[in-house]
Parts: sequence; structure tokens; C-alpha cells
Amino acid sequence: MVTAIMSGYALSLAAPAVHRVVRRWSGWIIALLPAGLFAYFLSLVGRVAGGEVIVASYEWFPSLGYNLTFYFDGLSLLFALIVTGIGTLVIVYAGSYLAGDPWLGRFYAIVLIFMASMLGVVIADNLIALFVFWELTSISSYLLIGYKFDKAASRAAALQALLVTGGGGLALLAGLLLLGLISGSWEISALFGEAEAIQAHHLYLPALLLILAGAFTKSAQFPFHFWLPGAMEAPAPVSAYLHSATMVKAGVFLLARLSPALGGTDEWTALVTSAGAVTMFLGGFLAWKQTDLKRILAYSTVSTLGTLVLLLGIGSSIAVKGAAVLLLAHAMYKGSLFLMAGGLDHETGTRDITAMGGLARSMPVSMLAASLAALSMAGLPPLVGFISKEVLYEATLEDAVWPALITAVAVAGNVFVVAAAGLVAIKPFWGEWVETPKHPHEGPVGLWLGPVLLAGLGLFVGLAPGVVSHDLIAPAASAVLQKETTVKLALWHGINPMLVLSVITVGLGVAAYVWRERLGNRLNILDPGSRFGPARIYQEAVDGLPRFATAVTSVLQSGYLRLYLTTIVVVTVGLVGFTLASRVDAGGMWRTPDVRIYEILVAGMILAGALGVTLMRSRMASVAALGTVGYGIALLYVLFSAPDLAMTQFAIETLTVLLFVFVIYRLPKYATLTSRRDRVRDAVVALLAGAMMTTLVLIVTAEPLRSRLTPYFAENSLPLGKGRNIVNVILVDFRAFDTLGEITVLSVAAIGVYALMKLRLGQAGDEES
Amino acid sequence: MEVVLAFVIGGLYAAGLFMMMRRSMVKVIMGLALLGYASNLLIFTVGRLTRGSSPLIPADAAQPAAPFADPLPQALILTAIVIGFGVQAFALVLFKRTYQSVGTDDLDSIRATEKS
Amino acid sequence: MFQVPSLSDLNVAAALPAVVLALGACVFLVVDLFVPRERKHITAWLTAGGLSVSLVLALLSLTDVVTFGDGEEAFFGMYIADQFTDMVNVIVLVTSLLGVMVAYNYLDRTNMQRGEYYYLLLFTTAGVMFMGAAGDLVVVFVALELLSIPLYILTGFRRPQEQSEESAMKYFLLGAFSSAFLVYGLALVYGATGTSNLREIWQAVDSMVAGDTSAQFLLLTGAGLSLVGLGFKVAAVPFHMWTPDVYQGAPTSVVAYMSVAAKVGGFAALLRVLVAGMPNFMLDNGTSAAWMDVTWLLAAATMIVGNFIAIVQSDLKRLLAYSSIAHAGYILIGVAAAGVPRVADEATQAVLIYLMAYAFTNVGAFSVIIAVERDDASNTGLSSMRGLARTQPLLAAAMAVFMLSLTGIPLTAGFVGKWFVFKAAIAADLIPVAVIGVLTSVLSAYYYLRIVWMMYFEDGDGEAATPRPLAWAIGISAIGTLVFGFLPYLLSDMAREITLAFGG
Repeated sequence: MVTAIMSGYALSLAAPAVHRVVRRWSGWIIALLPAGLFAYFLSLVGRVAGGEVIVASYEWFPSLGYNLTFYFDGLSLLFALIVTGIGTLVIVYAGSYLAGDPWLGRFYAIVLIFMASMLGVVIADNLIALFVFWELTSISSYLLIGYKFDKAASRAAALQALLVTGGGGLALLAGLLLLGLISGSWEISALFGEAEAIQAHHLYLPALLLILAGAFTKSAQFPFHFWLPGAMEAPAPVSAYLHSATMVKAGVFLLARLSPALGGTDEWTALVTSAGAVTMFLGGFLAWKQTDLKRILAYSTVSTLGTLVLLLGIGSSIAVKGAAVLLLAHAMYKGSLFLMAGGLDHETGTRDITAMGGLARSMPVSMLAASLAALSMAGLPPLVGFISKEVLYEATLEDAVWPALITAVAVAGNVFVVAAAGLVAIKPFWGEWVETPKHPHEGPVGLWLGPVLLAGLGLFVGLAPGVVSHDLIAPAASAVLQKETTVKLALWHGINPMLVLSVITVGLGVAAYVWRERLGNRLNILDPGSRFGPARIYQEAVDGLPRFATAVTSVLQSGYLRLYLTTIVVVTVGLVGFTLASRVDAGGMWRTPDVRIYEILVAGMILAGALGVTLMRSRMASVAALGTVGYGIALLYVLFSAPDLAMTQFAIETLTVLLFVFVIYRLPKYATLTSRRDRVRDAVVALLAGAMMTTLVLIVTAEPLRSRLTPYFAENSLPLGKGRNIVNVILVDFRAFDTLGEITVLSVAAIGVYALMKLRLGQAGDEES
Repeated sequence: MEVVLAFVIGGLYAAGLFMMMRRSMVKVIMGLALLGYASNLLIFTVGRLTRGSSPLIPADAAQPAAPFADPLPQALILTAIVIGFGVQAFALVLFKRTYQSVGTDDLDSIRATEKS
Repeated sequence: MFQVPSLSDLNVAAALPAVVLALGACVFLVVDLFVPRERKHITAWLTAGGLSVSLVLALLSLTDVVTFGDGEEAFFGMYIADQFTDMVNVIVLVTSLLGVMVAYNYLDRTNMQRGEYYYLLLFTTAGVMFMGAAGDLVVVFVALELLSIPLYILTGFRRPQEQSEESAMKYFLLGAFSSAFLVYGLALVYGATGTSNLREIWQAVDSMVAGDTSAQFLLLTGAGLSLVGLGFKVAAVPFHMWTPDVYQGAPTSVVAYMSVAAKVGGFAALLRVLVAGMPNFMLDNGTSAAWMDVTWLLAAATMIVGNFIAIVQSDLKRLLAYSSIAHAGYILIGVAAAGVPRVADEATQAVLIYLMAYAFTNVGAFSVIIAVERDDASNTGLSSMRGLARTQPLLAAAMAVFMLSLTGIPLTAGFVGKWFVFKAAIAADLIPVAVIGVLTSVLSAYYYLRIVWMMYFEDGDGEAATPRPLAWAIGISAIGTLVFGFLPYLLSDMAREITLAFGG
């Protein structure tokens, strides 16, 4: 199992080299790998259809109990076949479509990375592994959308897709984390048995919301649908592969995978069903309004994704089966149409359907493929799309909550999809010949093989649904429902409500196609999103971000040191002041001071010195004032029984003053650098901070200190430290480590002083030489 | 006396902070020195004041006579004073170097990193 | 409690890795005097040798292969030699070793090759190691100065160059200012508990009377002011403003080192003071430590501001400066989460894991800047990344790895760090902060991936030079980032037994 994934990554490393060697046929050669994997997965059909789940486990993170486990059931099988099958065709196609492109080698590499990662998503059992692969698909999608990186539109679209899906991915991570914490297990398969416990947990709703955010962004559900049409900047094979058949279905996959554990609750039903319904309708409607071939297809894909999500929201047995059928059908017809659209673009030089017509004669094979695929998309018999639409209506009609409303929305969405199918298949090929930028003719075999094969497969499955119903659809549905399920698919069920709805849908669809021009503008009201929708919000956010960031920068990062300081002081005073006000009763703080007059004098001298430092205009005078403060403090130490401190302070103070004098004696007088207003503002801030400190000291000293160490030092100083000066004993014995550190700090400072001095000398020397 | 010292400490902080917000580098360094005094005094006061009985053990006793000043904060302050001096000296030399290469005492005039 | 102080009772051996390094620094200081200026590579090699010896010792101690000394406490409880210390030592020693490698050529070509550089680096490293091992508030303070002062000197090492001098000046003034805050904070903690020893603070907090509001307030303020002082070192908002100016102006080799080392030291001290010293400090019968709220607020502000401003930067060094602010925010989440007692160990381990991952990634990213920087300190704009993939494919690949890791993309070390930190936050019920963390990580993709994009998809000169030791450093960083990304259990196993709790 892991080999299947790793082989993709391995080949992606070698792909550019392979391409360089075989150039012309590189697509065919490289496609051998996905083809081989397709065959391998096909060989597993028998086992999986028999109800077996293939499990593989590798140690990854043993100490914490995370293992790299893989879990391959019917759901994985269906996806794996789509991923590798379409992957094969797309790589072959790309070989022709991008022939001669200088970056083709890299293109293969990224597509292979994507393929391997997507396989990882669908067969991972470990939540974290799932997430890792999930993000890798987002990144490879980013690189592929931005493939034509010299185009600004390409880059913007790539970034948009990455931000939306990558962001959703991170939400998903958070959700999976919660899920893991709730259930205590990181294996998805272990979650299934604990659905009840999970859904009863108080973190269920947050976890659900986060996981849905991940799934909805990836699968382009409203309101995150806007990135998908943008992603059409990517080359056609990428659109066909990632943005239609596989990657965008990862969200659907995730919902299907987790629905046994998370699904069935009211929250799930409400959120998933409504998102699906809205997306389905909106996607169809927007598809119908486009003229760009790929955008039509993109929006109709959005509609299909909405349908899939809707079905999973309903969650009944028939709905899940419907989802599985639609998944398969969509991969066939939409893959085919995208590849065909790429072919048209390649041959005619345009993607605008109003700029082409009558191409049926020059491109008959493409016409054939397009017609078949479009018929399937429109849901006409005898194609597989018809079967899937029948099942869809059956599921909506049986919906437990609002069958009528859901069915109506489904019909409305499908009406537009029918019309869109017409736009894609009829407009370019029939009608009058329209001159196109390039002279069109049928492309090389690589270009039409894929569309024809896929469209043909759609017809084949439609005619003989039995080939898939038991082996693919039933196992997939069983995996989602977590119980044995049988599926019977057929084209003809007799005349029943579903058939009637199908007929109505097609009828209205034809009408919508015919009267498109006339109806178009009147129905704009159905899409309020174009003016102030999510895409607009995204755009505003992306544009606004740098503007906002610049504004923040200019406020926070002025480059003025003193403003930085002021910020720090204000924040601190604010926080401390707030706590002070809210927590402390100021009543007990004040008491009559027990003071001697000479102490007051010393205190006054210190304060006067401090004031002098701030006010003096001459440098020397302010240094003198600073000295006064220092000596005053030394006196305080003398008065309050700290002779060692006093001596040190005297000595150091003298040295400091000398140093100051030495450095500044030749400097000019202070210039007045700040305005009066600034000075007043600073003074207010400083005084506030000072007041805060005073209050703090008053609170500290309101009660006697319960020193825990002093008695110990007093008792042990003489016997252990052999000294009578307790301060000294503490410094050199009990706290020798600090003192050692202190000496080191001092020596480092000395090195600093020395280095600065020496550098200056060195520099002077350099200048002379 | 703690009450009075509380105001002295507050005053020193206020003066120190005010100086640190000036544009002249010399003033900023002086502000730093004032903050250093203030913090030493803070530790000193927090450890409580005792008049006239140093934490010294008399020659004829094994323990100091109570009440004696708390030796622990004094030891801490000694550390702080010494380190403070190292920092101060470094600050002055750094300033001198900067002054020589920039030619001004004004902090606002050195915003080279902001311009680019 | 204490024994008779004699050298053997100091239990010096327990501090062996740090002692070896500190002594080494002193010895090299003397040796360097006899090394002629044009042969400074001898000092560089000696330094690297000293660091390696210490690193091996620390690793041996971390993996419990050898136990140094006797018990966890040395120097009368001032130095704690536990697993936490060991892991901090390993992180900072790895950083310093890489720091020496990236510096060697850079100093040569920018004409800064001096012996001081190396032993100042050693002193800073010793400072960080002491901070991680601090068992006493005074050690925290002394170690902070030991860590800071050499950095002040190193940031101004490039002279005569105005930017370098400016950054030294700013860093120094703000740094001295914030150390003052730390001292006030420590003094208040002392005032509230009557001791400066962390173990005794822990006991004092336990016995603190519930209704003693003024003692609680003092302790809270003390913790808050210490947070300010250390918040400055780790560049947490709103104490971060020096970071961009200093990172841009200082020699890049210094920034590569200090951006990690100062963070390691700051966070180690923060954890020691808050998580070891006062995990039991709860107000109003709460279930989490009183300092938790303000810590997570800082974390949120730091992540938001750092990431937002990084978006508009056009200079690589400034951009990484804001990125380093943002990462301080992510790590702070872990510190905040440690405020919930039952999560404390998990959160502490998460912080260390994050720091380890960050060490490799960030030193690596700055090494790439060194490779593209010209001798006159120019060419550090974002545009210097253009076309790098074409001219220097390996260098560009390494840079891409670093950028992905900084973003937190899976299979890189950065993801592993974020994963553990967010997990701890969620376990501590700090879900809003974890969500902010996730959202700002998305935001950060905007500027990190732009660099990757420029290297691979835009045309430019892509000039860069990777002489030998620098190339090794980049290679080691990239391999480290990837290995830890692919095999995260290497990191979690390393941190598994770490706990800061006393008596537990």
C-alpha cells in the first residue's frame, strides 16, 4: 500500500530526467506508473468487493502511539481508481498538450506528487497522515495553478486557491486534533465505533465546524466556491485532473469517510445539507451565465460538488449510493469535457464559446466525445449521468426533513447544468462557422484519446451498470454506511416520480439553453454574490492586508527609541495599575512614618539630585547632580546598617562620575531637542510609573517580611562560613555561584569596553595605512 | 521610614524614566543610572530597614544579636551594584564610539535601519 | 537543607557541560592573545572544539547515558542540573556550533575576523546555559546579563558602519532598560515570598494565605514585571520593537546566532521562573496559574503583530526579524499552556521541542542570507532571492525547506513544533489562542512562500557564495529540519521525561 504512494513520489523526482531523455514520448512513458497502479487497484476489486478491508501499519511515532496506518476499503478503492485512472489519461494528454513547453518535466513531477498525495488522502487511516497528504495536495495544486507563472492572473489565482484551501486545511488540522482528543485515538477506523461518545462530547460542535471548514474549502462549497473558477488559469489537464475529478473531491471524501463517526446529528444534517444545496444551485446558475468554456465547466463542477455534499448531508442509504454513482459519473464526463475544452483551446486559440462555432466538421472526434460527455452531464439516457440523476432524485424525495424543498433545489440546479451542458457541446461545434485565432483541425492522438475513452466509458457504464454496481458502488456505499449494502442500478425503472422529474429537468434545461440571452440579465438577482460576495471579501482582504500591515508598521515601528520605551512603560503601568485597582484595598497601605530628621534630609537630597539631573542644562552640572543621588543612597545604606553596600556604593559612584566626566567633558551643552508638549507628555508618563512604584513599595512594606533564609544565614555564617560579616559570607560561600557569575559579567563588560576601544585604534590604524 | 523611601524610589523611577525618554544619548545613559539606583533601593527597602545594627557577628558571639539588618538583600544589592557599574561603563564607551562615528548626541538622528 | 560548604558539596560535577564551556571561554580568552590576527581560524576551531565537547557532555547527560555529579542540585540549589537543563544546553550548543560555522568566512570577508567574536559567543552561550539551569532568581538575573552584554557588543561588531552601531546602541539601551524591569520583578517576588530560591518560592506560594491579597498582588506584579524583562529578550509584543532594527543592523552571523540563542535563554528562564517557581500560584481558587492569562494575551498579540508586519517587509533580515517575533508568540502559547498544572509537563516539552526545531530552521534561514549578502552588507533585499533556484539549486532547496518549516508545513521540523505547542494549548483549554495561532500561520504562508516563489519562478541574478563551513552549516540545518520533520519522535523522545515541577 505504502509502495503505491511512494512510487509516485519517487518517480516525481526522476520525472524531469525522464522527460529530458525521451522528450517526445515522455507522457506515454511516465503514464505507465499510474496505469500500473490502476491495474494494481483493479486487481484488489475482488477482495474489497468481498467485504475485506486491507490494512497496513508502519511505526511512525511509537512513543506517542501514532502509527502510520493505511485503511483500504470500498471508498478508498473507488477514489484510488479514479485518481490513477484519470491520472494516466491526463499525463498522456499533457505530453501532447504541453509539448515543447520548457517546464514540462517539472509539470510531470508536480502532477505525480499530487497523485501520490491524493492516494495518501484516500487510503490513510491516521488522522495526521491524512492531514499531511491533504496539505500536500493543496500545495501541488498551488504550483500547478501557477504553472504559467509569468502571468499575473495565474499567480493571483494560485495564491487565492492556496490561501483558501490551505487555510481550510489548517482549520481541518485543528478539527482533527479536537477529534483525536475527544476520542483518544488517531485512527479513523477506530472512530467508527465511538460515534455516540464523540457526538455527545461538548467539543463535538467545534470539531465538526472546523472539519467542515476544511472539507468545504477544499470542495469549493459556498461560500468558499470562488477559488475554483479562478483555478481555471491552470493548464487544461490540471483542471481536468485536480479541479474536477480528484482534488476537489477530497472534501467530499473526507465527509464520506468521517460520516460514520460524525454524521447523523442534527448539526451535521443542517450544515452539510444546506451548504450542499446552496452550492448546487448557485454553481449551476453561474455555470449557465459564463461564456468561457472552462469557467462553465468549473461552475458546473461546483454544482456537482454541491450535489455530492447534499447527498452526504441527507445521509440515507440511497443518498450515499447516489453520491458514489455521481462521483464516478462525474469523473468520466467532466474529465472528458475538460480535456476536450483544452483541446479546443489548443486548436482554436480561444476558450470563448461565442467566438467559435461549426467546428464539428474540422474536429469530428472531439465533437463526438463532447456530445457523449455532455449528454451524460445533462443526465440523458442511456448514459451513466442519467442513472446518477435518477438516484439523486430518489434520495431527495426520501429526505427526512424537507423532501419537497430539497428536491426543488436539486431540480433547479440541474436545469442549469443541462443548459450548461448544451453550451459546452452545442455552441462550439454546430451553427455557423466562426473564424478563430488559429486554424483548427483534429489534434494528435494524445489530445483526443482521453476525452474519447472517458466519454465512451460513460456510455458503457450507462448501458451496463451491472459492471460497477456490485464491485465498486456497493463497497463504497457500505464503507460510508458501515454496513453491508447492495446496489442495483438500471436505466429503466418504469414510470415513476424520478423519471418525471428527469423529464421536467431536461425540458426546462432546454428552455434555459434556448432563452439564455433573454433570461440572463433578469435572473441576476439570484446571484447577489457577484457584488458583495465571498470573492469580493477575499479580494478586499488580500488587497487590504498589505495596506493594513503598512499602517500598523508606521504606528508600531517608528524607529524612535524613546517611543519604544514609552510604549513599554505605558503598557506596563497600565497592566499593573489595572490589577492594582482591581485587586488591592488601598486602605491599609498608609501609616504614619517613623522617621528621623536627618533621614528626611538625606531623602530630600536624593530627590533634589534626581530633579537636578532632569533639569540641568549643562552636562557637567547634571553629572554632579547624578553624583549627589549616588552619594545620598550610599548615606542611606550607612544609616540603615549596610556598611558593605555603603562602601561599595561610594567607590563605584566615584568611578562612575569620573567615567562620565571623562567621556563627556568636551561635548557641547545639551540642545533642546524636544518640544515642550513632548516633555510634558513624557513627564506625565514617568510620574505615573513613579507613582506606581511608590504604591508597590508601600504595599510590600505594609507587612513584615517573612524571610525564609536570613535566620539560616545568621546561624550558619560562623560555623560553616567561618566569617563574621554575614554579607560577605553569603557572597563568597553560600552564594558563590552568583558571585562567580557576577565576576564573569563584569569581565565580559570589560572585554566589551576593551574591544570597543581597540576597534577604534585598529580602525585609525587602517585609515593611516 | 519605609514610607519616605517609597516616595524616594518613586521619584527616582520617575526621573530615570523621564531621562530615558530624552533624545540625548547622555541623558538616556543617566536615566539608566537613575533606574539602577532605584532598583537597588527597591530591593533594599523590600528587605526592610533596620537602624544601627549591621549583619555582623560580634567577636564574642556565634550569632548576631537580634534585631539585625537582613543580610540577604544586601548581598543581592552588592551583586546588582557591581553589574550595574559594568553596564554603565560599557554604555559610556559605546556612546563615545557612536558619537565619534555619527557626530551627534541625538538618538533620533540615527535611524539608518529605518530608512532602507 | 544545606550541607557544610566544601567543594565536593557544591556538586560542581552536575554542572559539567556549563562549567566546561565557561572555563573554556576563559582559557580561549587568554590563548587568543597569542594567536596572530591572520590566524584567527585557530580560535574558531578551538571554540568549535569547546562547544563540541560541551555538546557531547550535554547529550550524554540528556540521554541518561552518564549522570554527572550527584543529584540534581548544585551550588546549594542555585544550579539545577535536570533534564530540562540538558535539553536547553543541547539546543543552545547546537545553535552556537552552527553560529561559529556561519561566522567564520563571513567575518573574514567583512574584515571583522577577531578573537573576541568567538569567546563572546561562548560567554553568551554560557549565559543561556545558566539561565536554563537557574534555581534562584539571582542566577536568572546574573545569567541574563551574562547572556546580554556579549550580545550588545556583538551587534555592534561591524564598524565603522552606522547601522551596526545604531543597532548596538538601541539594543543595549532597551536591553538595559528591560533588565531593570526584570530586577524589579524579581525584587517584588522576593518581597512577596521572602526568598529568592525557586524551590522555596514554590513552597512559599503553597503556604500563602488565600485571603492575603496584597501578597498575591505583589507576586502577580513581580511575575508580570519579570515577564516584561524576559519578554524583551524573546521579542514578545509589545516589547519587540528593537528586533527589526537590531536584526537589520547587526552583522548577519550574529543575528543568525542571537535570534535563536536569546530566545532559548529567555524562554528557559521564563519557564523556570513561572512554571517551576509559581505553577501553584492561583487566584480565587482558579484551576490555572495566575500568570496564564496575561501570557496568552501576549502570545496572541505577538503572533498577530509579528505576522502582519512581516507581510510588508522588503528586506530579508527585517522580514525574518518579524518572523522571529511571530515565532516568539507561538512559543509563548506553550508557556501559557503550562499554567494549567496537568498540562505543565507536556507544555514545557512542547516549548523545548519548538525551540529545537526553530534552532535548526532559523539559523539555516539566516545562513542563506549570509550566502547572498555582499561584503558591504547589501543585497539582503527580498529581490536577492530571485533566480536563486537556477544559479544555486541546492541553496535554494535548503532555503525552501527553511521557509516551509517556518510556515509549519508538515514533514518539516517547524510543523512538529507547532503541532506540539497547539496540542498543549488545546489540552489546556486555550482553544482561542490555538485558533489564532493556526490563522496567523496561514497568514505567514503569504510571506514565506513568496520567497520560495521568487527563488523558483522569478528571474534574477541569484548571486550567492557558499564557502566551506557555511555550506556545512546550511546543510546541517536543512538535514536537521527535515529529519525532525520526518521522524518527529526523535524530538519527542528527547523531551519525554522533562518536568519542571519540584518535588515531583
